[in-house]
Amino acid sequence: MRNVVAIAVNVIKDTARKKIFYVVFLFGLVVVALAPLLPTFELGSQASFLRDISVSLTSLFGVVLAVVLSVGQVPGEVDKRTIYNILSKPVSRVQYLLGKYLGIVVSLAAILFVMSLEIIVLLAVRVQVFSPVIFQGVFAVFLEACVISAFCLMLSTFTTVPINVFAAILFYFVCHMKTGFLHQRLVAGSMNGFLKVLAGAFYYVIPNLENFNISQQVGYGGGAGWWYMLRVTGYAVFFSAIFLLIGYATFRRKDL
Amino acid sequence: MNGKAVTLEHIKKTYRVGASRKRRAAVEDLSLEVGYGGIFGLLGPNGAGKTTTLKVLLGLVFPDSGSGTLLGTALGDRQAHKRLGFLPEQPYFYGFLTAEKGLALYGQFFGIDEGILQKKSADLIEMVGLPHDSHLTLDKYSKGMLQRFGIAQALLNDPELVVLDEPSSGLDPVGQKEVRDILLQLKDDGKTIFLSSHQLSEVENICDSVSIVSAGRSVLEGKLSELLTVEGLTRIVLSGEDARAREGLSFARSVEQADGFTTVEVSSGDTYRALEASRALGMELVSAQPYHRSLEDLFLETVKETSS
Repeated sequence: MRNVVAIAVNVIKDTARKKIFYVVFLFGLVVVALAPLLPTFELGSQASFLRDISVSLTSLFGVVLAVVLSVGQVPGEVDKRTIYNILSKPVSRVQYLLGKYLGIVVSLAAILFVMSLEIIVLLAVRVQVFSPVIFQGVFAVFLEACVISAFCLMLSTFTTVPINVFAAILFYFVCHMKTGFLHQRLVAGSMNGFLKVLAGAFYYVIPNLENFNISQQVGYGGGAGWWYMLRVTGYAVFFSAIFLLIGYATFRRKDL
Repeated sequence: MNGKAVTLEHIKKTYRVGASRKRRAAVEDLSLEVGYGGIFGLLGPNGAGKTTTLKVLLGLVFPDSGSGTLLGTALGDRQAHKRLGFLPEQPYFYGFLTAEKGLALYGQFFGIDEGILQKKSADLIEMVGLPHDSHLTLDKYSKGMLQRFGIAQALLNDPELVVLDEPSSGLDPVGQKEVRDILLQLKDDGKTIFLSSHQLSEVENICDSVSIVSAGRSVLEGKLSELLTVEGLTRIVLSGEDARAREGLSFARSVEQADGFTTVEVSSGDTYRALEASRALGMELVSAQPYHRSLEDLFLETVKETSS
């Protein structure tokens, strides 16, 4: 565990050095800049709209941050050969990967926490509404970012950064379309046998990232139920673990 | 200590290269043994497979076939790495860390107590000559400074075995001398040093035993003093140059005269005969010793033989 934490702390320091935290403040500025453009609603609907759009924007930033933080972790260290100084010490490859992932997750948590504070302050200032439910919405964004990070970290054990970025974007859109297009086709039965089996397997293998989209519930102010949040947390942990396991399986015997 | 610090047996490692993904051997059939204590040098021309051999040893790459041990445990056993220090070739470190913080990071992997680690780090920074630069982040360091820091991090856990890939790379002559002194001090402290190098003078000066690799194969291995001694030959150095020397020492293998000295190489059985002949010529004896060739000669000869 000591090794995992040491590597994670190093990832966090590296993240801070990359000044990625400035993105957070940029996010705040974007939201503030957008706010005056909003149509004049009644106080309640303006607050709902702001909550909804803020969480949606956070989701977008969360995905970008997850990809930026994850894609270069392993290839960057291999290219710069800094990985030799870690893995020649009594550090196993599983500790290395877990440390990287933990560092990314903690960095994401810190950044998204600051973002949620910004939104809450913005809502309090703009529409005089205190909305702690934003934390729940941003937590769902965080879970989604964790899954995407695990996916990117898995890919980073055997692909280059450009391929990883492309795959991550594809993964994001496909996993969000899953409940729409793919589900409809499967239910409608418009596919032939083999294609249906293939699409069915694909449908059940990939995660449904729409599960993490609770911006509307947050917008209404009530949020999602605790049981639902517990289930999506388990869902995120499950898929993250699967991706990390696949990543470890490829990284375990990788020549460096 | 019993056993060997390092053994490698018939290691083969290939990589896929080019668009055709054809396999190319980086190491073809490499075997070596390194005992505890002393300095061992792995020599070879560029592309001979030295770095791949070190990576196999450290579990950074996995051999296609062959086996080995590291500090008494099978290759890949992370326990052995607690007793090991490693300096990669042209090392890179996290540029955002200072030397102190870098050593603090690496020290954590060995579970060194924080207080001891601080003291140890300060001592190592002093030893490698970076006390005035320890507050700078490593991205501000020159190549030579990074090499020094690399040596410091390799010694952090007081290792039994220190593996160094081209330890003098990037260092100026003063730095090279300092590294040499550090390695000799480590040897005196009972450590085992395993270094890979193509700087022959460095190896000749400090190594006790060597293995020469060429085209991925180990082609010559042994104690350096034995490898450099040419059995049955004596080199005699006489003061003065005398035109009659070639005639008077006609039985010698070679007679060379330069800078006021005459150097004679004779079969060991002819040593006394040569000494008497030179005395008859009125030439003073400066030295007489078993003939040693230079490591450069041995290296070039070995590599040339194997490549042909």
